[in-house]
Amino acid sequence: MAKMSHGDTIPLHPSSQSDIDEIENLMIAGPANVLPARPPSPPRASIPVSSSPFLPSNLPPPPPSAPAAAYHKAPISASPPDAAYHKAPISASPPAAETSRGGIAADGFGSLPNTLTEPVWDTVKRDLSRIVSNLKLVVFPNPYREDPGKALRDWDLWGPFFFIVFLGLTLSWSASLKKSEVFAVAFAVLAAGAIILTLNVLLLGGHIIFFQSLSLLGYCLFPLDVGAVICMLKDNVIIKIIVVSIALAWSSWAAYPFMSAAVNPRRKALALYPVFLMYISVGFLIIAID
Amino acid sequence: MEEGYTSLPTSHLLGSVPAAVAEEKAKGAASESSSANLQIFPPANGGYQAPGSPYGGDDQATSSWKGVCSISSYTPYFNVDTDIVVGRLISSVYPMNDFTGKIDGNPDLYGPIWISTTLVFMLAALGNCATYLMHKRNEPDIAWAFDVTYVNWAACIIYGYALAVPVAFYFLLRYFGCNASLIRLWCMWGYSLFIFVPSSLLLIAPVEIFRWIIIILAGAASSWFVALNLKSYTEGSDLMVLIVSALLLQIVLALFIKIFFFA
Repeated sequence: MAKMSHGDTIPLHPSSQSDIDEIENLMIAGPANVLPARPPSPPRASIPVSSSPFLPSNLPPPPPSAPAAAYHKAPISASPPDAAYHKAPISASPPAAETSRGGIAADGFGSLPNTLTEPVWDTVKRDLSRIVSNLKLVVFPNPYREDPGKALRDWDLWGPFFFIVFLGLTLSWSASLKKSEVFAVAFAVLAAGAIILTLNVLLLGGHIIFFQSLSLLGYCLFPLDVGAVICMLKDNVIIKIIVVSIALAWSSWAAYPFMSAAVNPRRKALALYPVFLMYISVGFLIIAID
Repeated sequence: MEEGYTSLPTSHLLGSVPAAVAEEKAKGAASESSSANLQIFPPANGGYQAPGSPYGGDDQATSSWKGVCSISSYTPYFNVDTDIVVGRLISSVYPMNDFTGKIDGNPDLYGPIWISTTLVFMLAALGNCATYLMHKRNEPDIAWAFDVTYVNWAACIIYGYALAVPVAFYFLLRYFGCNASLIRLWCMWGYSLFIFVPSSLLLIAPVEIFRWIIIILAGAASSWFVALNLKSYTEGSDLMVLIVSALLLQIVLALFIKIFFFA
């Protein structure tokens, strides 16, 4: 029961363990055990937090301990994809795990207020650095390309959101008529497209994590963003076509290993075709808007 | 009792052929009992028999809501490989091949969905190309602007057509006594739209008479495809009215594509 190895697997039902056992684990195992080997989604700092009562912390402990433990158990006991969903509310805590590693076991409840009371610039800087590192993993050549599982472990949705909105704004800016409709069409196509593409892979019997795939498809828009900015500045149709083709090829190259690894090889083309279709339609939108 | 078959430990491993078809008989699908599970849409027991529900036949009503919302219940409709899809696409272009025979055992929704989406994109993009070329030919001085509402129109027309027309025919066929499968109707109508994809490529050419020839040929081929398949679907009963109306609807769609997008 205490053999939920914090190492690789996500402890899914700690509710079956009593609080005392949890705390014992932490005390015996030490801070190293608290970190999940892979950084992503699941209940990062929540586990140590719930066991805080017996460890020095900044907050007044115990009476809230039982309900607090129960409260924190709620996100923990969700399965990984759902924990990813709860990620948004507790997004402050995972970076805490990275930056104040030593501090987590040492001050259980303390880790939460540390991220709550830290300067806004720190939070923003953390998220920005995560976006940049994810971007480097996805879009630029790197040794992890062929292993999609490693490629985007620490996925997030801020990056994709920025890229989609930026692309919509750029297209809207370059359009001469019906600017708001252009933005609406671009945003709808990209957002709905990412969701539908992920659903397509799932329906074809492939294995991907929903939000990781959304994140990846969003990051692969970066080359198209660059292309859209260049097209906004230059008005020549030939140059636009060349730039957009290069951006398209780059985006597709970035998305290819992930998508093709997710499905049965006999259905690879079925999973990849919609990706190309979406990028080509966005590319066309970029060329045609003037 | 036949329900006992569904409680076999391996019943959830079966593909689209459930061991017990007790609940399917009620639908009167005599000739299609082998693939009966795909008849029901939306999926009731979650497509595959879930391992945890040995009495799948009983709680059709209570689990139907779960069946609609979970992805795994729709997976049987996407059980196709690349070569199968390509084969179906090719046979949709030549109306003489027996398309209904091809999809009988394994109708898929992948084709209709992505063919309609491709067609929406092509109509919006190439329609704008066509107006650009006509504009450059006739009025080269005035600025041309990309008309984004083409995307809206294309999406509404194509998706609406591909969704609503098979549903309407499903109800009509049911009313007239034929047993019909909604999935197969969707599949067939979806693949019938494929021929408009290459023809919309050809419709860019700014020559008016050429465009009319192309669209008439494409419309005729597509309607003939629909009519033939509908006829082989309703063999036995004399429903010429329905078949002719399906044919006319397809021709109207073709004309609409030409007139609205490639004027």
